[in-house]
This record gives sequence, C-alpha cells and structure tokens, in this order.
Amino acid sequence: MPPVASRFRDPSTIFFQNDSVRRCIIASYWIIIVLAIPLWWKTTSIERLGLPTSQVYAEAEKKLRIPLSICLDEIFIDEVAKVMTGFQDTAEYLDVKVTAGWECNQSNSSSDYTVAWEDKLEIQDRTLYHPLSGSLTNTLKSLLAPQIDPRAAQYAPRYRLSFTLLNEDGSAGQVVNGWDIQEAIQRHVSPITSALSMLHNFTIESQVQFHAPLAFEPQSLSEGAYGLTPEDLTVFVNSAEWTLSSSSSNDPVLHFVLFVPSAERRPLRILNEDGTPSTSSAFLIPQWGGIVILNLPSPSSSQDESPSPSERVRLTADDLRQSFGAFSRQMTTLLGVPKLPPAISVSSSSPSSSSSFSTPFTHWQIDTLLRLRTHENIRRSQDTLRSTVKVVDEIEGMPVGEEVQNQVRGSLGALKHVLEILSDDGNTQLTATPNTPTSQYLSSLLAYSARALTLSSKAFFNPGMLAMLYFPAEHKYAVYTPLFASAMIPLVVAAMREVKAWMKERKEKRAALGGGGGEVRDGPPEQRED
Amino acid sequence: MRFLPLLFPLALFSYTLASQQHTNNWAVLVCSSRYWFNYRHMANALGMYRTVKRLGIPDSNIILMLADDAACNDRNKFSGSVYANPGRHLDLYGDNIEVDYRGYEVTVENFLRLLTGRLEDSVPRSKRLLTDSNSNIFIYLTGHGGNEFLKFQDNEEVSAHDIADAFHQMYQGGRYKEIFFMVDTCQANSMYSKFYSPNILATGSSVVGENSYSHENDYDIGVAVIDSYTHYILEYMEKVNKTSRLTMADLFTSYDVPKIGSHPGVRSDLFSRPLGPQHPMASYGRGHGWKVEGEWTGREQEPYKRDREALITDFFGGVVSVDVEGECESDDFSYRPASEEISKPSPPSFNPSLSSHPKSSSRSYFDSFPFLRASLAFFLLGLLFAFAFGGRISRR
Repeated sequence: MPPVASRFRDPSTIFFQNDSVRRCIIASYWIIIVLAIPLWWKTTSIERLGLPTSQVYAEAEKKLRIPLSICLDEIFIDEVAKVMTGFQDTAEYLDVKVTAGWECNQSNSSSDYTVAWEDKLEIQDRTLYHPLSGSLTNTLKSLLAPQIDPRAAQYAPRYRLSFTLLNEDGSAGQVVNGWDIQEAIQRHVSPITSALSMLHNFTIESQVQFHAPLAFEPQSLSEGAYGLTPEDLTVFVNSAEWTLSSSSSNDPVLHFVLFVPSAERRPLRILNEDGTPSTSSAFLIPQWGGIVILNLPSPSSSQDESPSPSERVRLTADDLRQSFGAFSRQMTTLLGVPKLPPAISVSSSSPSSSSSFSTPFTHWQIDTLLRLRTHENIRRSQDTLRSTVKVVDEIEGMPVGEEVQNQVRGSLGALKHVLEILSDDGNTQLTATPNTPTSQYLSSLLAYSARALTLSSKAFFNPGMLAMLYFPAEHKYAVYTPLFASAMIPLVVAAMREVKAWMKERKEKRAALGGGGGEVRDGPPEQRED
Repeated sequence: MRFLPLLFPLALFSYTLASQQHTNNWAVLVCSSRYWFNYRHMANALGMYRTVKRLGIPDSNIILMLADDAACNDRNKFSGSVYANPGRHLDLYGDNIEVDYRGYEVTVENFLRLLTGRLEDSVPRSKRLLTDSNSNIFIYLTGHGGNEFLKFQDNEEVSAHDIADAFHQMYQGGRYKEIFFMVDTCQANSMYSKFYSPNILATGSSVVGENSYSHENDYDIGVAVIDSYTHYILEYMEKVNKTSRLTMADLFTSYDVPKIGSHPGVRSDLFSRPLGPQHPMASYGRGHGWKVEGEWTGREQEPYKRDREALITDFFGGVVSVDVEGECESDDFSYRPASEEISKPSPPSFNPSLSSHPKSSSRSYFDSFPFLRASLAFFLLGLLFAFAFGGRISRR
C-alpha cells in the first residue's frame, strides 16, 4: 500500500462498512420498496366494481305491457276486433283486452272500463256512454292512449311550483303590493295538486317583486296601448334581472309569473302574428311555465293629477280568478294531463266528482296519465341503465364505486318488480283483489317505475364516476422516470455488487474448505482490487 | 377508428329524428386562461357571451367559466371594463355579467363535471348544465393549447380525449340534441379530432401545427385585446339577429384565411343535418389563402344529407316557441317564429379597424413539450450519478 493511504482509516474498521451492517442497510431499502409496491398499486389503480351488465341488457330489452280491460255493451259487439287492432297500432305499451256483452261477466274479472250505449257522449267514473254513430275506436284511443303533450315537462317525482307577482316598475302609478295568494292557490291550484298527488310531490313558493324591467321595448300601438309581438314573447323572461325561484333545492321548477306592466305601459297586449291584439293575456313556455299579463284598470282620478304618488293595490282572490284560471290550465298542460276530446261531456252525477273543485280531472285522464308516465319512466330508466353500463364499458378510466353498484342494482330491482307485476298477468292480479281499484294498481306501478328512474339517473350522474383524465404514455414516463430512475440505479447497482461479492465469498469459502480454512480468516474479505 | 362501425347505424337513426325542433338552447363559454397578459382570452369569452345573450339565450342557460381577473386587475387602466377593440367602443364587462365559474373554479374537473352532469348535490342550479335530449348546446373554448390539449390556467390540461369522452357520456345520458363546438386556440382543430358521438358540429381556429393569432393591440391597455379568429366570428355574428335565416354554411364560408392568419377547420361528419346551401359550402377551403383541403372533415357526406339546414340561430337562440293561450282552452295555437330574413346590422359592433398591427403569437410555450427527451435526460443524469457515486457509497 502507498504511504499516502495510511492517513485514511482502514475501511474494515468503520462499523458501517462491516459486511453484515452494510448488507442490512441495502436490504432494508429493498424491503421498503417491495412492501411499498402493493400500496402504490392500490393508490394508483381505479376502483372499478362490476356492474350486472348482462342483467341490465336483458331488462332493457323487455317491453312494457300494461294490462287494460274494456267491457263493451252488447250492442258494440262488432267493434271488439276493431278496437283491439286500433290499440295495437297506436300504443304498444298497452295490453288491451276487449270483451263485449255477456263475456264481460263470464271472464270473472272486473273490467277497468265499461262502455255503455246512450245517445250522448258522456263519461261518468270509468264508464263511457257512447252513441252508435261515431267511431268508438277513435274515442277510446283518444281517451286511453293519447300522445304525450310535447309541451309537458319530463316526469320528476318532486316539483316546485313558483308563483311570482312582478311589478314592472314599483316606483310610480298603481303598484300591486300584495295578493291573496293563499286563497287563490287554495281555489285554483290545490285541486290539481291533490288530484295528481299520486304522481308528484309538490312544493309551492310565492313572492312579490317591485322592480322587474323587461329586456326590450314593447311596441307602441295606437290609442296608447303597447303590444308584444310573437318574437318578443320568446324573450319575455328577463332571467338576468328577475329571480323567479329560490335555489333551495334541485327539484325541477314550474314557473308561474303574473306580470303587472308599469303605469306608462298599460295596457300591454299580446299581438297575433298579423299584428292585431290578441284576446288572450296568457302564454305558455314549454317545459318552463306560464306567464299572465295583468293590466290593472287605470283609475279615472289619476288621469288629471299626473304626478300621482304610487298607489298601492292589493289583489283579492276574486281579482286573481282569471289569472289563476289561466295558471291552472297551463299547469295542467305542463304536467302532461291529457285533454278530454272536446265532444265528451263529464257527468257530474257520480259521487267522486260531485263538485268540480275537488277533482278537476276524470278517472280516465288520471289513469291514462299514470300509464303514460309509467311507460315514460320505464323507458327512460331502461335507457339510463343501458347507457351506464355502456359508458363504463367503453371508458376504461372510469371509476365505479360501491354507491353506483348499489344504485344500479336498486334500479334494476325496481324495474324487475314492475315487469314482474305486469308479466304475471295483470288480470289475475286484479281478480285476486277485486277491491283494488285500478288507480291504486297503476299508482303502485308508477311508484316503482319512478324509483327505478331516480336510482338509475343517480347512478349515471354519480359524482364519483368522473373518468380519470386522459394521460398519454409519455406523460406517465415523464412523471415516473425522473423520480425513480435516479433513485433506483444506485440501489440496483449496490445490490448487484453485494450479490456478486457474496457469491465470490462463498466460492472462496468453499475453495478454502477444500484446501485449508486458515487463509480466509487472516485477510479482511473486502481486500479486493477494484 | 374502432367507433366507425358503431357510428353508422347511429347516424342513420339520427337522420330520422333530427327533423323535430329542439326546445331550448344552452351555451357553455370557457376562458381557460388567467393573468393580465391573457386579457384577449377573457375578451374572447365575454364577446361570445354578449353575442349569445343578444341572440336570446337567457343568462340562466349560459354557463360562463372565466378567470375574471382582467376587469379589476391593477394593471387595467380602464378599471371595471373589458374591451375587445382598440377604439374601446364597446365595454364587454358593462352590465349584467353573470360569471358562473370564476377564478380558481375554472378547472378541468369542473368543466368535465359540468358537461357530464356529475356534480355534487350541493352545487346550485346556476352552475349546472340542466339540459335534456331536446337541448342544443353551444360550447366555446378559448385559451392556450396545443396538439390535442388545452391548458387550464397554467396548471392542468384537458385533452381532446377527455372532451370526446365527456360528449359521449352526454350523448348516452340524453343531455343534448345537438352540440356546436367552437374552439379558438393554437392547433385548435386537433381538439375536435377525437369526437365520436353523433350530432356534433365542430369548428376550430387553426390546423395542427399552426398557431392561432391575436388580432390587435390597444396601446392604452397595453396588451392584445382579442384573438383574430374570434374577432371575425363575432364580427360576422353581428349580422345575425333573432329571426335570421343565415346558415352554418354562411358562417363557415365567411372564414378568410389571410385575414384570420390561420386555417380554420370544420368537422361535420358527426352532424346529421346539412350545413346549408351546397353552393357556398362546396368551395369551402378551396379559395384564395387555403393551403390544404383537409380542413373540412365530412365534406363527402355533405351532399347526401337530407334534413333541415343548420341555422346559426339553432345554436344561438332563445325559447324556440311559446304558446299563446286563449281565454277558453280550445282556441290556443302554437307559434313558430316568422321566417323572413332581416339582417339589419346593430349599432354597437366589433368594427374591424383593419390596421395591420404586429401580430403577437399566442403560441403556448408548453406546446408539444418534449416529455420523452426530458425523461431521457433525467435517466442519463441518474445513470451518471449512479456510476459516479454509487461505487463509493456501496464499497469504498
């Protein structure tokens, strides 16, 4: 050894250069790395629980068939086949069974609807009186299988109804500062909400606003009136400045706006397309709500005293009668209640519809709406479920948590339940409990279909299902290489050296055992030339 | 393309459905940049906001994502205002700006959640895209981007794959009827190249490998105030009013490459309706200034489309129809807007002052970042370290 080296300590005397200590240090690094791999794998992998894909596809294929039985009077016996085919063509989701005369009683099942012969067109409860003239098939079809109104809002189990009284300018002229909203709702809205209570759960809110400017200038007409052209109506709602509903929940809202034009813009009229004033003061925005324009009668006294201070008006329930009549009609349309064919009159003799206030709709309308909504819900939840599994299949980085899994299963369960009720012959269901009214049977169907819909859309829109952002492969290298390459290389090299040294040592030891053991013990084992 | 066989039946299916009108319009306007020197991107988004609002989309149906640090920036000499032209004729920040996602809320995650509807229950209605299968959506993106990505606030990126997947989920979830996607960024046309869901019409400001340029500077404000592509779009949109019958073909054929400075692209192969009269669109991309013909994807399908023409107002409109109700139920009638063309130019406009200011490039400095080279460099560095010190550490 050169003399210079004597200044340094002999490496074999440093404690951490001791073979076993050094090997322990290197091994501990490796142990930590090996132990960390599962942790790394778990934290970087995406949780993708399995969805019942095949079941979803199977359920989504199934067709909904809601049973419906009609009993015709003997006199209509020739019409049976015609009615049957008529329904098959228009409404596939209905399983219509038509019987006539004595067959009705023979089949031993109470029919949902009966058709009797009378010289007038009238309905009473679930009985239709039909004259011999006129097409019975068309009447029944328009009663039981109408198309859903495109203006109606999509089905939701909960709705908020927001009633707003807007003063265009509350600073001058007559100002409405109050309205008997409770009374008006009691009279005009409650009958509808209670009649539809098996379909929806309603929350009602109301407000009065004193400054609600329009976003455009209404057209000035002769004799001091102002007009709203059809184009104006489409931009009438000034959503930037009018706050029409509270944002307390995410339920869909139906808006009803009573607009009081400012004093200098009265009367404000809706114009027809040819520019002549329309007799109507109400219009409906599909799926959004309804608007009624209320022109206050100009008080004769304020004509001469021009700088009249703002006069306060309170609208009584009687003042609101016309406006709320329009609101209730708009609400009926928006909620998709089918209209009765105009020729049909409703008999008021039946006990359930004794006063027109208690039930504004006939059983035919409610039943039909229940069927339409059930059909819509089933179709939508089938679609949503199918889309959910499809999207999860197609997008590989999309996490699927337990919540989604449960929601899909729950929805599937509800869907199966509906289809089961229907598939094991609706009639036996009805005959088994002859006292179960049709509406109750239908509303239980709707309840399950609504559950299926809610759960399926919750699953599809689950916030946890946000797909991982897309990373190209080079991004991954760019993230991992700088981090690990510099750390791994010394470790790998050190491990390789150690393994090599250990193997060499073993070989020497073996050789020494063969020759003579004393030699090895003398020299320090690390004395090798590098 | 593994989705092509899947698309064909879908396209056929949509041909039969599309004739039904949409019932509502929505707009999602995203400015993905922040900081003062990106003033022009905020002006882009606000200009678009003003236009969609003017054409009748109510504020409740506009989702505006904006860093919003320009109007009240300390460096803004005209505090509280954002202008899109050097003359400062029109304050885009004037009144009634409703920014739904502001500042640090403008993230890739929020954008994708907004589109797909996967939001927490606590998110208010104003931050939700409450569309249904009858909604037409206009989506406008602006910011710094590159090949197949768009940078969000110098912090993260959304890739073309992410947006394509989000659109697909929207399609599966019945969240749109048609989408009009417009993007103004460098290499913008790559952003729509990955789409695979039907009924999407897309347009972008520049082809792959090409920058998108800013239009002009205002020397009092001190920065570029608007991007060129958006400027000419907005200028064209001033010709459109609520009852206009101008078609998408009219908009696209108004692209002028020498003026814009980049080659805008159109993608219509996923869109089922014809863009407009065949004669102006037939020569799209073939005139003066167009280098290549590849800037219109879907040119071949165009003559075979049979449906209503795609109007500009289909995507920039308000409530499509209202029903005036009579006093008695029977005499209500349904209304469709009148269909004659009135194209009166409205007074405040994005007037082109057409001065030839030096064009400042808005090329992103992360543009096609050489990740592989970077990682290789790190790898070699690591190796070097290993050999230099590894032996000493382990042995002597």
